[in-house]
Amino acid sequence: MYPELTRPLLVLLVAAAAALITVAAVRPFLRRLALRQVSRRPLEAVLVIAGSLLGTAIIVGSFAVGDTIDHSVRNTAFRTLGPVDEEVYSNDLTRGDAATRRLAALRVDPDVDGLLTVVADKAAVSRGTGAARVAEPQAQVFEADFAAAATFGDRGADGRDGSHLSGANPAPGSAVVNTELADSLGLRAGDTVTAYLYGQPTQLRVERVVPARGLAALGFANINRDLFVAPGTLAAAAARAGGDNSPSTITLVSNRGGVESGSTLTDAVEQKIRTALGGLTTSGAQVTTPKKDALATAEDVAGQLGSLFLFIGSFSIIAGVLLLVNVFVMLTDERRGQLGMLRAMGMRRRRLISAFLLEGSIYGVVAAALGVAAGIGVGWAVVLVAAQIFAAFQDGGNALELTFAITPTSLFNGFAAGFLIAFATIAATSARVSRLNIIAAIRDLPDGVGRKPRRSLLVGSALLAVLCTAAAVPAVASSEGMTTYLFPALAVLFAVPLARRFAGTRAVSTVASALVLAWGLLANIARPDVYDNGSTATYVVLGVMVTGAAVVLLSVNQDIVLRPLRLLTARAGETGLAARLAVTYPTSRKFRTGATLLMYSLIIFTLVIITEMGAIIGAGTDQAVVEASAGYAIRADVAPSTLINDPQLTLRSGDLAGQITEVTPLTIGRGTSDDPTGRSDTPLPVVLIGLPAAAATSHPLALDSWLPSLGADEKAAWRGIVADSRYVVLDPYFNSTTGPNTDQVKPGATITLTDPATGRAQKKIIAAKVENALPYYSFPAQPPAYPVFAGADTVRAIYGDGAQDTSLLIRAAPGVSDERLAATLQGRFLANGLIANRIERDVRRTFAANVSFFRLMQGYLALGLLVGIIGLGVVMVRAVRERRRTIGILRALGVRSRTVTLAFLGESAFVAIEGIVLGAGLSLLTSWLMYTNSPAFGGLDVAFPVDWATIGPTVGATLVASLLASAGPARRAAAIRPAVAVRVAD
Amino acid sequence: MVAIWCRWFAEIMVEKSGMTATPLLRAEGVRKIYRTGAVEVEALRGLDLEVEAGELVAVMGPSGSGKTTLLNCLSGLDDIDGGRVILGGVDLFAMPDARRTEHRARTMGFVFQAFNLIPVFTAVENVELPLLLVGVAPAQARRRAADMLERVGLGARGAHRPNELSGGEQQRVTIARALVARPAIVWADEPTGNLDSEMAAQVMDLLRTLNRDEGQTIILVTHDPGIGAAAGRLIRMRDGALISDERRAPANGPVPSAPSASSMAASPPAPSSPSAPEAPDALTSAV
Repeated sequence: MYPELTRPLLVLLVAAAAALITVAAVRPFLRRLALRQVSRRPLEAVLVIAGSLLGTAIIVGSFAVGDTIDHSVRNTAFRTLGPVDEEVYSNDLTRGDAATRRLAALRVDPDVDGLLTVVADKAAVSRGTGAARVAEPQAQVFEADFAAAATFGDRGADGRDGSHLSGANPAPGSAVVNTELADSLGLRAGDTVTAYLYGQPTQLRVERVVPARGLAALGFANINRDLFVAPGTLAAAAARAGGDNSPSTITLVSNRGGVESGSTLTDAVEQKIRTALGGLTTSGAQVTTPKKDALATAEDVAGQLGSLFLFIGSFSIIAGVLLLVNVFVMLTDERRGQLGMLRAMGMRRRRLISAFLLEGSIYGVVAAALGVAAGIGVGWAVVLVAAQIFAAFQDGGNALELTFAITPTSLFNGFAAGFLIAFATIAATSARVSRLNIIAAIRDLPDGVGRKPRRSLLVGSALLAVLCTAAAVPAVASSEGMTTYLFPALAVLFAVPLARRFAGTRAVSTVASALVLAWGLLANIARPDVYDNGSTATYVVLGVMVTGAAVVLLSVNQDIVLRPLRLLTARAGETGLAARLAVTYPTSRKFRTGATLLMYSLIIFTLVIITEMGAIIGAGTDQAVVEASAGYAIRADVAPSTLINDPQLTLRSGDLAGQITEVTPLTIGRGTSDDPTGRSDTPLPVVLIGLPAAAATSHPLALDSWLPSLGADEKAAWRGIVADSRYVVLDPYFNSTTGPNTDQVKPGATITLTDPATGRAQKKIIAAKVENALPYYSFPAQPPAYPVFAGADTVRAIYGDGAQDTSLLIRAAPGVSDERLAATLQGRFLANGLIANRIERDVRRTFAANVSFFRLMQGYLALGLLVGIIGLGVVMVRAVRERRRTIGILRALGVRSRTVTLAFLGESAFVAIEGIVLGAGLSLLTSWLMYTNSPAFGGLDVAFPVDWATIGPTVGATLVASLLASAGPARRAAAIRPAVAVRVAD
Repeated sequence: MVAIWCRWFAEIMVEKSGMTATPLLRAEGVRKIYRTGAVEVEALRGLDLEVEAGELVAVMGPSGSGKTTLLNCLSGLDDIDGGRVILGGVDLFAMPDARRTEHRARTMGFVFQAFNLIPVFTAVENVELPLLLVGVAPAQARRRAADMLERVGLGARGAHRPNELSGGEQQRVTIARALVARPAIVWADEPTGNLDSEMAAQVMDLLRTLNRDEGQTIILVTHDPGIGAAAGRLIRMRDGALISDERRAPANGPVPSAPSASSMAASPPAPSSPSAPEAPDALTSAV
């Protein structure tokens, strides 16, 4: 992923490596110092590397998810399209013949290496009879010249699959089926199937089964249950059925080059096709570029999913950075005397930083290398779980086969990013710690005593505070996501040094952190549109800002927080002593405790927010079912060539009369639109769903908002919309990949709809937005498209003959099982290719899959907890080392080893509990504030849910793991022999 | 080579002309104020002091009198709030921190109560550090460090790490480290504070011998009246000011190996300046 990052990362990596190698070569004593410091504390080195490698692992894991999606979607495109790069659809044979003749000129075009015309339509196919009958309601039926197909296109140097259709054409009365259809119906060569061609049952003998690859997998991407019949079969069947039925003609075009490389010529060849077709493009011949579109989709979806996981993982990466900072600050603490002496001897700060950088880079390189290996494992595990979730999304079609993949580019980018993050962190930390007070360091005095605040810092920070304030005004005024949060917070932060001239550190820190925290929590009340741009960076800034401010607020006011614990700490005896020790050390070491607290609270904060989002989605399922179904149980889709005559009467007669109370036909047209949200420049696929005037009385979908001129009543609004051809209705997820659009598309805005058959564009007014249109995102054997609702006449006016009543909304009688009714309808109307979609089940399944996805993200984020737990372990290991002498004295004074163990475990529990409570509390507060104030949740009428069943075990397990991480150091502390500890300095 | 010849010529000319050398160290009106919140404590109150090359100066006074502050400020380890400090003709506080650090590396050595040796380095590696910092070639630095350890009586302990040495041995390593680059001045803050009386005596003998035999300028802060009495010059402090300045014995005259202030001003020691003359056998026998 992110090949555009490879070059800058490589440059930075080479620069960092060159700097390190130069220092190591020119200053051998710095190299020696770094190497020996690393090998001096093997346990800590292992902990540091373990904590740091997770950052790289998360980056590589996220890249692996993106690569896998990209690879899988691309593979599906190559597998199912083979050499086909462009397709020209004509909706009848006459137009198809005309198109084929005009396109013949391309046979000599150097950019084209194959032209093949096939005749196609949809039909139900079944095997067996009675109870043993199995059926595929909408299989794809093709007539193709197998000999021409065999030589169609060039496999090319990329060695991908070719056409896979060869041999003799199927004989009349026979068929060749692909493995997708064969698997679906359990077919083998020699079996007999019934194909309902234009409603006419036709017996066909299966001549052979071919792999569903290349031309033998024609259709839409991963929905390709294909049946090939003898040339002329479809036309004859259409003629027998009468009416104006006619199969479609598809001319397949293969670009020069192989299956993969040919797609690079798509733009040029598409233009040549359009030129060759001339006026036919506006009279029924549609040019599509399926491979190019599929590859773009692959890149887009892969980028989105990879970014999503990277976003979730970014909190863990930040925790890893904090761990590194903490480790190096602790190392400086340990080596203060040595560093002070080195500075006194004349070692410049630059060299001190170099020594630290060399040492840190050793950890960094090892951690990044191990992180890459761990990241592959993490990515593989995520893909494994994601594949199951995807399978749930893919009902009705062949599930997208996820094949784990990771590119060398991703591996390099992950390694380089992981190492450079560590490098930059260590460089910044070293630069900070190298400013030590030499005297204080040598004499082990508190740093900063007697030092004047640096004037340059004061002036610089005051200037930055002013600049950030100035930048905050337009940011807040325009509700720009990230900067609305960031600039005011930075303004407060930069004002701190100046404020310290007038007030004490504690007062200034308290006020500043309280202000930042308050703004973080309440900004979206003042600016409700702050999340509208969908940027994940906003959430990262919000999380870091809120938790960081809360940790500072807590750290400088620990004495107030600890007051309730006085009963315990003031107790006489060893329990009281252990409690006192447990809270005294962490509260006196503010920086390291703060960094550890921030690691915990940041991860718990994000984990709980994701849990809550999942819970809110789950809690909204019932409401979504009501809104999306509007009381309809089933949406039935029939093949365009086998429409049901008078469906309202047909479906409510006979034994169905008691089962169905209402049938509403939907007029369906497919085309493209512009993007009223302004996010995309490319045309968006839309499915226009036309409602009959009568449907307005039962208002098929709940409306979220509508034009005031349509009246205050929802039914009246629907009546107005259906009756007026100027109006269309959108759903809240129109062209959204991150969540519902809130105020970006408002009633009154316009949208331009284009008919691909004629190229004619029409501007429409968005009259309303529905609450939920989930059941209308997928239709059989069609690519996903954004649903747009309008009156049936409006749809016909836009698409003409291309608009057909192919879908029916069916309201079941009370007590009728939608499952049984769906089965009955599919069996009864098999000849019509009817597919019955159970609306409630589909909505619930989608919600369940979304919740599963949230669970997957929780698991991914939980990796960050490991960083926190390791961070706490490092702190405790260091604590034991630093306090050997103190522990020895305590033991010499008669304190039992059990008390020492208790004190250490208590300290660990204290930090972990504070971090967990802080993170979880803030998270619940933030999600509650978002829930009650954000327009994104405005439509939900359920009480704010708290998913204690997930949050409880999560925080409990974190606490237990933290205690386990401290158990080793605590045991070692208790085992310290007083006589040794009080004598040995180090 | 030209620099060495110039330096040697300058020293000869100073000696031959009978001119009194400029003081190695001159402090003029040095003030130091510690601020803790709203409280300000004046630790040095306009202090004036001159130290000649080759002197062994002991600074004594009760706790809080400003002894250590004096050492820290005059050596440039800590900033001052007024006055100036001229060492080897160079105003320490007129230089940026990086230049002052470099100046410190080339002209000063430090011995503190806490040994502050690098625990991951052996004794010889600790001693060679100041030489490597000023760019002496590693092989030469190692040879000079081994020589220096020999001279403080630790020739056989060069490969040992600090935790394998006794307290006295560790302090002798810090003295070797302070002296190895042949600094113009050695600052010692309670160098015997962490040692028992026998070890302390050994360390003081070593410092006195270096001062007497090599003309090494040493300024040491001590609480020990015995050490103070043995120094050639004893300065007493109280409340941040000098209250007495006694010269018990004539200060040692400059010896060829100890750079004078004027020579330092003319040309700071080059990174690969000629090594010091061989130490007399008495030095090692003294320790």
